[in-house]
Amino acid sequence: MADDIKILVVDDEPVVIKSCKRILEAEGYNIDGASGGREAIIAMEQKPYDFVITDLKMPEVDGITLIKWIKKSRPDTGVLIITGYPSQETIKDALELGIIDYVPKPFTPVVLMDVVARAIEWKQRTLPAEAKKKEEEFPPSMMAELDRMISSYKDKPGSLIPVLQRAQEIVGYLPPIVQKRISRGLNIPAAEVHGVVSFYSFFTMKPRGDHIIKVCLGTACYVKGIEEVLEKIKENLHIGVGEITEDRKFSLEAVRCLGACGLAPVMVVDHDTHSAVTPKKVMQIIDEYKTVGAKA
Amino acid sequence: MGRFRANLMVCAGSGCVATKSLKVKEAFEEELQKRGLEKEIDVVLTGCNGFCAQGPIITVHPDEIFYEKIQVEDVPYLVEEHFIKGRPVEKFMYKEPTEKITIPSMHEIPFFKHQVLRVLRNKGIIDPEKIEDYITRDGYLASAKAVTAMTPEEIIKVVKDSGIRGRGGAGFPTGVKWESCARMVSDQKYMCCNGDEGDPGAFMDRSIMEADPHAVIEGMIIGAKAIGATKGYIYVRAEYPLAVHRLQLAIDAATEAGLLGKNILNSGFDFDLEIYQGAGAFVCGESTALMFSIEGRRGMPRLTPPRSTEAGLWGKPTVLNNVETLAAIPQIILNGADWFKSLGTEKSTGTKVFSLTGAINNTGLVEVPMGMTIRQIVYDIGGGVPGARRGRKFKAVQMGGPSGGCIPESLIDTPVTFEDIQKTGAIMGSGGMVFMDNSNCMVGMAKFFLEFTTDESCGKCPPCRVGTKIMLDKLSDLTEGRGKEGDIEILEELSYDIIEGSLCGLGQSAPNPVLTTIQYFRDEYESHIKDKWCKVGVCRKLTTFFINEKVCTGCGACMRACPSKAIIGEKKKPHRIIQEVCIQCRTCYDTCRFQSIIIGPADYKGDPMALLKE
Repeated sequence: MADDIKILVVDDEPVVIKSCKRILEAEGYNIDGASGGREAIIAMEQKPYDFVITDLKMPEVDGITLIKWIKKSRPDTGVLIITGYPSQETIKDALELGIIDYVPKPFTPVVLMDVVARAIEWKQRTLPAEAKKKEEEFPPSMMAELDRMISSYKDKPGSLIPVLQRAQEIVGYLPPIVQKRISRGLNIPAAEVHGVVSFYSFFTMKPRGDHIIKVCLGTACYVKGIEEVLEKIKENLHIGVGEITEDRKFSLEAVRCLGACGLAPVMVVDHDTHSAVTPKKVMQIIDEYKTVGAKA
Repeated sequence: MGRFRANLMVCAGSGCVATKSLKVKEAFEEELQKRGLEKEIDVVLTGCNGFCAQGPIITVHPDEIFYEKIQVEDVPYLVEEHFIKGRPVEKFMYKEPTEKITIPSMHEIPFFKHQVLRVLRNKGIIDPEKIEDYITRDGYLASAKAVTAMTPEEIIKVVKDSGIRGRGGAGFPTGVKWESCARMVSDQKYMCCNGDEGDPGAFMDRSIMEADPHAVIEGMIIGAKAIGATKGYIYVRAEYPLAVHRLQLAIDAATEAGLLGKNILNSGFDFDLEIYQGAGAFVCGESTALMFSIEGRRGMPRLTPPRSTEAGLWGKPTVLNNVETLAAIPQIILNGADWFKSLGTEKSTGTKVFSLTGAINNTGLVEVPMGMTIRQIVYDIGGGVPGARRGRKFKAVQMGGPSGGCIPESLIDTPVTFEDIQKTGAIMGSGGMVFMDNSNCMVGMAKFFLEFTTDESCGKCPPCRVGTKIMLDKLSDLTEGRGKEGDIEILEELSYDIIEGSLCGLGQSAPNPVLTTIQYFRDEYESHIKDKWCKVGVCRKLTTFFINEKVCTGCGACMRACPSKAIIGEKKKPHRIIQEVCIQCRTCYDTCRFQSIIIGPADYKGDPMALLKE
């Protein structure tokens, strides 16, 4: 596995590159060297690297400038720094730019190996999350639909809540990017939009599952034992209220009285109301939705 | 209705739709077509019939035969017997729960017999999605009269004289509210309807909006004329999609017919109406918060005065009335103030719609004259408490939702009027009645409501935001065995602080459920604290379950029901609970038909039989 990993070591002292090479190649990593920031950028334009280990103080293009370039142009590359001046200030600057870790100079082989191994582990852990984030970028058609909807409400007083409701119908939930678009489109400060989103329980900033399970926590349902039903769902789907299952099939929500008290205890899945639900039959009902696709 | 031999009314209220009444309707249409009866028998979808627990409900007119719990597979048989052979089918009819006597006619069923339908006069009779049906029932006659032949002063006088008070909770006289808004001079006024029915256990407004949406709209037109508003909003909870759908259809149809919108009936009077969907915040039922919400802001109540009638929506004079109040208005205009006052008491006139839920046989929606006693509602209409044979008894009724309180059995003869209910410490509220039997823990009940208010407090006033949380923590301590001497007093003291220090009705009434349960069920609080004993077995950490070996018949029902297999025993011999395995879930208690389960305090090691004497 280690030989898949390509690392670029950047330092104006050739001896540092040499010793890094010796230590890390022995571990099976692929190591290239660059004698300064400019050379590093040229090298990275040629081929991708998983990590860059760089000095901070270098003539011409220094470490901080290099890190800024990497963050902008090669965001997938992880950055480690070597520094002979582990002063609070320089480290702080670098940390703010999003480096993974640092190696104080002078260092022993063990320290270097340890830092690199930890960086690799960290990156592997965070990678899937980032991949997921990319997935959640919305198709342009959806955004166009959103913009069309927003502009149809422009200049209408008091339209924020209806717009948010429609937006949630279109996108499924209200992530910051959607809120920002609404803020721009309606000319309402983003803080105010967020204030409204966080106030009303109808709005959610988390994605929802294909099927939405709403459990009624009204008085009548409480008296008739809805709590045990809720426990059963939580136990079986391994999620809490307001959460979504790992396969994104179901999200679980608790609602205030659905006004169907004659049928208590009540649970609504998508648009179907299920009456007199018991802990015994609740999972049977939910299982029926497992094979069904997302709601229309 | 004329040209058909019979009308088959299928209830399409939320309750019956949930039990698949729409499928039943399709099945009827298909079957009637198959039998060539589609020209003779008309199938109509109606609004909520009210008897929700028995759904799907079908009534056949003109004989008013009442069928309950009809499923798709029952349809061919029912059509064959009733419509071809002319023999109404007894097995689908209502049976009186104690004597098991079949009652064919809807009006003979006790649940319906004691009701007086005014606001709900069209329920189950008209198709709420057809304006023609509403018009046949004198619909829009009152608004036509108000718009074309009455002055605002005349309208206000009739409404004031009728004595009608707001049906949303506080009971403020509607006529007075209209009058104070009519007096204001402004370029724009608003007439709004509060359909943000948030009290858990209440569904009157939902049913009215679903069953008779035009009545609400007509009431709003009359109100608009009285106060001089040209624009109106109906604020409906997002949880009520069917109500939103039907109201929208009704608004469109009324506008199309010239009964709503610009220049109504050529009178020169304009009134535009829009639906506004809420977004799930209980506090938005409060009038100032509701208006902020329509404006697209956080729904947080503000200090009054100025009242909404002076400076409401967008700072303009605004009247906000409850759904039920508005639905009652057209009848008042048509029949006069004296007709309305002929029912009810001096200070609480007319009828009121209540929703009956919880531990009661006939759950559903009822309309009764004000002043009827709780006893009459429980036993004559509600059919008593289920499980009487297992020793279940009426214990209390919770009225007014999270702002209300519990009225105990000792006050069961209290007449239901604004004043009398208030005297008990509860409030009339919007009309939700949640019944409790002797298997409900009152401390747990108070905790349930505090959970609700803690969650729904908007956060503006610290006494409400922080105080309710502290009360909730205390109540959790009590139900989980950490209660200590003095907790009841702390709860009471906190309650008064919250009531005094909160701006709106939510905070001012949030402690009511705690105060009333302490007032009437103090012994239960004390046994939770001192004896670590929840006598009804709800609070798991405060119970030990035993089987009364003298009563147990060894039927094995509890053994089969027990989720942790903690019950052992041979057939027909008394069973026993293994305490180490028991998880105190109370399933055995609910299952046993012989009342052989004894509930003792936490970790009770003594003789279970000794507990019976307590």
